Amino acid sequence: MEDIVGGWWDKLVQRAAYRGHRAAAVRLEQVAPIAPVFFRAMGGDPALALRSTVGTEHGARRRWLERIAGTGERVELAWSDQQAFYLPEKIELFADAALNRELYFWLMALAASTRPAGDWLNANRQAAAACLSAMPGLAASYQRLVAAHLPQRPDPARLPPAEAAWERAIRQALLQPQQALDTLPPARAPYPLPLWLHPAPPTLEHTAPSTAQDPQQSGPRSKPQQRQRRRYRAQRVVQDERKNGMLMIFRAESLFTWDEYVKVNRHTDEDDDDNAAAAAEDMNRLSLAQDAHTKGGKLKFDLDLPAAAWDDTPLGPGLLLPEWNWKQQRLVDDHCRLQPMLPRDAVPAALPARLLPLARRLRRQFQALAPERTRKSGQECGPDIDIDRVIRFMAERHSGVAQSEPGLYQAWPPGERSLACLTLADLSLSTESWVGDEAGRVIDVIRDSLLLFAEALSAAGDSFGLYGFSSIRRQEVRFQVLKDFAERYDDSTRGRILAIRPGYYTRMGAAIRQSSRILLQQPAARRLLLIISDGKPNDLDHYEGRHGIEDTRQAILEARRDGLLPFCLTVDREAGDYLPHLFGHRGYVVVQQAQMLPSVLTRLYAQLTA
Amino acid sequence: MNAPLRPELSAPFYQAQGDECQLFEAAWQQQLPVLIKGPTGCGKTRFVAHMAARLGLPLITVSCHDDLSAADLVGRHLIGDGQTVWCDGPLTRAVRQGGICYLDEVVEARKDTTVVLHPLTDDRRILPIERTGEVLLAPPGFMLVVSYNPGYQHVLKTLKPSTRQRFVAMSFDFPSAEVEQQVVMQESGLAAAQAQQLVTLAGQLRRLSGYDLDESVSTRLLVYAAKLMASGMRPALACRTALAEPLSDEPDTVAALLAIIHTQFPA
Repeated sequence: MEDIVGGWWDKLVQRAAYRGHRAAAVRLEQVAPIAPVFFRAMGGDPALALRSTVGTEHGARRRWLERIAGTGERVELAWSDQQAFYLPEKIELFADAALNRELYFWLMALAASTRPAGDWLNANRQAAAACLSAMPGLAASYQRLVAAHLPQRPDPARLPPAEAAWERAIRQALLQPQQALDTLPPARAPYPLPLWLHPAPPTLEHTAPSTAQDPQQSGPRSKPQQRQRRRYRAQRVVQDERKNGMLMIFRAESLFTWDEYVKVNRHTDEDDDDNAAAAAEDMNRLSLAQDAHTKGGKLKFDLDLPAAAWDDTPLGPGLLLPEWNWKQQRLVDDHCRLQPMLPRDAVPAALPARLLPLARRLRRQFQALAPERTRKSGQECGPDIDIDRVIRFMAERHSGVAQSEPGLYQAWPPGERSLACLTLADLSLSTESWVGDEAGRVIDVIRDSLLLFAEALSAAGDSFGLYGFSSIRRQEVRFQVLKDFAERYDDSTRGRILAIRPGYYTRMGAAIRQSSRILLQQPAARRLLLIISDGKPNDLDHYEGRHGIEDTRQAILEARRDGLLPFCLTVDREAGDYLPHLFGHRGYVVVQQAQMLPSVLTRLYAQLTA
Repeated sequence: MNAPLRPELSAPFYQAQGDECQLFEAAWQQQLPVLIKGPTGCGKTRFVAHMAARLGLPLITVSCHDDLSAADLVGRHLIGDGQTVWCDGPLTRAVRQGGICYLDEVVEARKDTTVVLHPLTDDRRILPIERTGEVLLAPPGFMLVVSYNPGYQHVLKTLKPSTRQRFVAMSFDFPSAEVEQQVVMQESGLAAAQAQQLVTLAGQLRRLSGYDLDESVSTRLLVYAAKLMASGMRPALACRTALAEPLSDEPDTVAALLAIIHTQFPA
């Protein structure tokens, strides 16, 4: 009974202490479709992704009701760094939803503007002043925001002198951002300012590549996507080398102990993911250490490295390929070693029975996808009369200069479609993730797609090649040759496609460069480079995040410069963040359900080549 | 109601961005054909019209399309009253008159059509007319100008290198903010402050080309927006009509463009 009453009391007090306006809340997902475009237009770096931020402790004075309720300690503030721009997941600061929405746009404009140097107060003040002078339309919105926010701030008259000085300075900076301010002596943290950027955004400098795996790449996608987009404040610490002694199991029994790094090596029997994630939400800072023990998923990955004898069959000594270094803005020659391989255990096989009906239908459709017929004028025979030429001929005969054997017909000879298509499939370990009971794993969907697509292409009679790739650092980019352009599509190719297995990482740039080279050797008027992927480029050695994205972008740009048509199909729902940067606005398609991949792929091919 | 058409009395307004006018004049004096590259609506056509008026030359403009045949350029026989009449095409007319023949978006024309330009673009400067057996020698005043938009480049639609190599080429781009503001004010009569906001907006929108938009916003569209604003239309609505809607069909992108427009002109 006490528990129940306590629960009610807790809820009641929390509700009374809460300052937000839940009814007027605007969520990030409501502005997310237009946020990246707006951010880029305001001058934000186009390579940055949109992420939601989590609360940080602001350390400012709270009202007594908030202290009783134990709330109001945290605030979600916006900022940007080299990887992304971070916005609060929802804004419910004001009672007017339109105002909350305007705050999102104001924060994006502020985050996109170049950050002037100086202390937090002056830097934000200057950025705000710059935004207001460059964007007069924002000024009206800014004034509304300030007018609504000022009454929410504490009264300087009721604060101790040092804090009151800060509060007055902030108020002045809000009202007149053009006026310079003196640097103030440190005081207790001022009341948080949601109209400005984060005073101390979490930095990335500690992120070591060896453990900074993208969670989407290595783990199954069981958790809600929204969670994964959140960013936690993290610090990297050195793992305690002492033996565990008697203390074998550490139990996270209360959140208070979570908050500090305890020099106890936690073993792999962790709480449920949900509990850990919920606790992570509440923490100020996550401590990450390199640990010999790993969670189930990662352990499985490490064991996935095959012994040499069991590995795929390498073809030749491998090729050296360049890679783009975005920090130096240059191409580093011979940086990656690409190893063409044939899948091990590939035995000739027929198309699986379950795919037969669909394959038959696709073959019919693609056979009907008649090669382009173009009208040819001036033929000496043909089904239609070329009226234009007949008139010209009559006129010329009148004038006495007519040709003796004019071509007066139009013909529709079957045009020769001169098209080559190279399909490059991502075979990294992330494709092992489960997409549904019927479809199985992403890799199964990719395998079926390749099989069906190959059936369709061979029916259409276009020249095509099928390849797959994965990578383990720059020394080993594995390039699976499933069907070379010169090879026929037959049971041995089908066997190779059936033998593909997921493994390792996604060093996309090198694989694209090699594919471009192969495609460039094909004698065709149009050359299509189709990439099937399930996530961002990533690898163990610095190839995650920005580096991988920029290298891939360069590889795509090179391909485009060479006259190829790169196009990407992805099942990654976050692809909207980075794919426009890689492939351009019209260069990609996000397949919402992996199961739809085969049909989208074939339909897309018909569209692209029509 | 539209104002009645008036013949141009002076050279059409063109705000130079660099030394392109001198370059063009030098090419004309040296009897060299000119190729102008640049994005849609950046002022290529206006530049040629301006130069033709400045040099006092007749200007014949042909908008190229994929059905444009050599006969369309050179000319054809027509029948009338029981007899045939030879009718010059625009190219022949320009050669005979000694004016500028301007082929707009020349990549759109069929490859076999552009070949008729070849003898005109080298030192022979001749136009053989097969049908009448004539060979026209271009007078000193004649000049061939072609333009195309490299942004449109399509695998199938690009100028053959052998054709491209016969021209001296100039690259055009959108004018600098100051020049563009001048152009907008001059063309629309809009006040300086609003013209400046429009040009800043154009700068913001041009950051999106290649990412979210296929094409940049052109100076021409800016002038349209400015004209609507000068006529008394609400600026945000004018920009929506003249900028956001023509630039994209996708609802999300249009919504984002509106948000960007509102940073300059509140709703």
